[in-house]
Amino acid sequence: MPREAPLLLPPFMRPPSRVAIRRALGYKLDLAPMLHETLVEFDLPVRSKTVLLKPNLVGSDPLCTTNTHPAVIAAARESFLRLGASEVLIGDGPALDRDTHAVIESIGLREYAGPLSRIFVDLNVDDVERVALKTRASRLKELYLPRTVRRADFIVSLAKLKTHHWAGVTLSLKNMFGIVPGAVYGWPKNILHWAGIERAILDINAAARPDFAIVDGIVGMEGNGPIQGAPRACGVLILGDDPVAVDSTCARVMGLLPEKIDYLRRAATLLGHIRPEMIHQLGESIEDTRTPFAVLDAFRHLRAAA
Amino acid sequence: MENGSSKSQALGEFEDALAFLERSCLPWLERAQNEDGGWGFAPGSLSRVEPTSWALLALEEFRPSACGDRGLGFLQGSQLGDGSWPAVTGEKKGSWVTSIACLALCRRPEASNVVARGLRWLTEEWPGDSGWRWRLLRRLALRGRVEDRNDAYCGWSWTARTASWVEPTSYAVLALDGSPPDLVPAKARLRLQLAESMLYERMCSGGGWNCGNPMVYGVPGEPQVGPTVWALLALRRNPERPEIQQSLDWLEKNWNRVSSPAGAALSAIALDVLGRRNSISRTSLRNFRENDQTFCNVPVAAWTALALSKQRNWLQNHA
Repeated sequence: MPREAPLLLPPFMRPPSRVAIRRALGYKLDLAPMLHETLVEFDLPVRSKTVLLKPNLVGSDPLCTTNTHPAVIAAARESFLRLGASEVLIGDGPALDRDTHAVIESIGLREYAGPLSRIFVDLNVDDVERVALKTRASRLKELYLPRTVRRADFIVSLAKLKTHHWAGVTLSLKNMFGIVPGAVYGWPKNILHWAGIERAILDINAAARPDFAIVDGIVGMEGNGPIQGAPRACGVLILGDDPVAVDSTCARVMGLLPEKIDYLRRAATLLGHIRPEMIHQLGESIEDTRTPFAVLDAFRHLRAAA
Repeated sequence: MENGSSKSQALGEFEDALAFLERSCLPWLERAQNEDGGWGFAPGSLSRVEPTSWALLALEEFRPSACGDRGLGFLQGSQLGDGSWPAVTGEKKGSWVTSIACLALCRRPEASNVVARGLRWLTEEWPGDSGWRWRLLRRLALRGRVEDRNDAYCGWSWTARTASWVEPTSYAVLALDGSPPDLVPAKARLRLQLAESMLYERMCSGGGWNCGNPMVYGVPGEPQVGPTVWALLALRRNPERPEIQQSLDWLEKNWNRVSSPAGAALSAIALDVLGRRNSISRTSLRNFRENDQTFCNVPVAAWTALALSKQRNWLQNHA
């Protein structure tokens, strides 16, 4: 059965969201116990379900500064299995490089997550289903989406904490661009740029809203992200049951104003909460973990006052 | 002695490659064909134009077979009324896969009408970045944010009326350039000139290509194996050009970074076609074969088979 379309609700009809900030100072730590302990607090409905982890795999990245770190991907997989998921798949469709195999080899995912042939799905070449877009925020009326995404019971956007030279930041919502199949739309998925990046983010997330978001902010990227920026150690994992709330919290940790990020403001009308009073904070506080990220001049207006 | 030893090593590799083709690669491709005559990206997945075209190219490179006739039937049945092919069966709009389908069929005389219609569509399908309005808007909107480039050059886009990119442009050049001249519309000459100029201009500094952004915000983009190989094959008629030699140098130097069967197969094809020694690529190809990584999807298996072909029929020009 295809996945039910998510509920699109204005903020006043939505219950408060929960977001946790956990300190993690390096990838060599055993992240799985900490992640599992935090996920237990969320009481997620994943028992006997198929969970799809959607990391941010952009391109070959031997230093792991661009992509979600494999240690985080492997820890998330282990944690969801411990929570009782019947199957935890890892799937992505890199936007800039057709050679997904080379991308996952470059980050050493196999060394962290074990043999990938049965658990990794290249979403760029997966079978697809045509999905009518309900939000029509962009010019797109419909999209082909991978069958694995449509059939998953529970989707986790497993993003990286990065600035973005067109959208301001790329976090769990923008990460969902990766589900759009390259074999239909190309490398890059240029049709989304032509439709308007900010609006397309809303359309894609409304069609396949992540049920949960985990952002790898142990080492993020600042400046000319999402590929050519500089690594920025931030030492956090930020996770929650509302991708808009998670991304808003990430922006605040980065020293940016989420209300000024166009796609986050749009997403907050239908997909989740942006206002701090509607986000129940767990773990560390934003103030204690705030790590100002450098941004390109075009995005100086996003910076929060010191 | 050394010469004799390297010859026997080469012979051994050749025999090894033939055995792999006959015993593993080609039978695997044949078995992956669906009932409807097409191929999906993986065995058992839904038939699509792109994997069907690559599988056909690979199988027909070595031997005519019933698989080929059934594959031809699938492609003929998938062609849209305007001559294009869709990326997904059932979709009503044509896309970049039209070039690959034409490339797969252009050596079959019985498909000449089908190919001629496909080439006509390709010739008339201008990308969205070729219009004056887009060029003006781009200059205004992106002023100072993207490195300047000559907007008069354009190639082909992935999807209708979006921007030109290196890979779909290269595929279209290969299809138009490799088809019998009587099937190619006269207007294609202009498109080919613009496309080749675009490819040269989009080369990364130092050689090689990525998807089509040699500079972003003043920072040089990194080349990638796939786009580099397809651009090199599209431009192979001018092997003496410094851009080609520089890009081959890049490909040769970066062989040790190739970590995938697709990258190894494509590198081997380009280095071989353009006259560079490619024992390194062939060795890495063998390593992937031994680990069964070749059979991760249909295009990769097809490229591996094409990399092991000595004749290169699929790249022979009719002109």
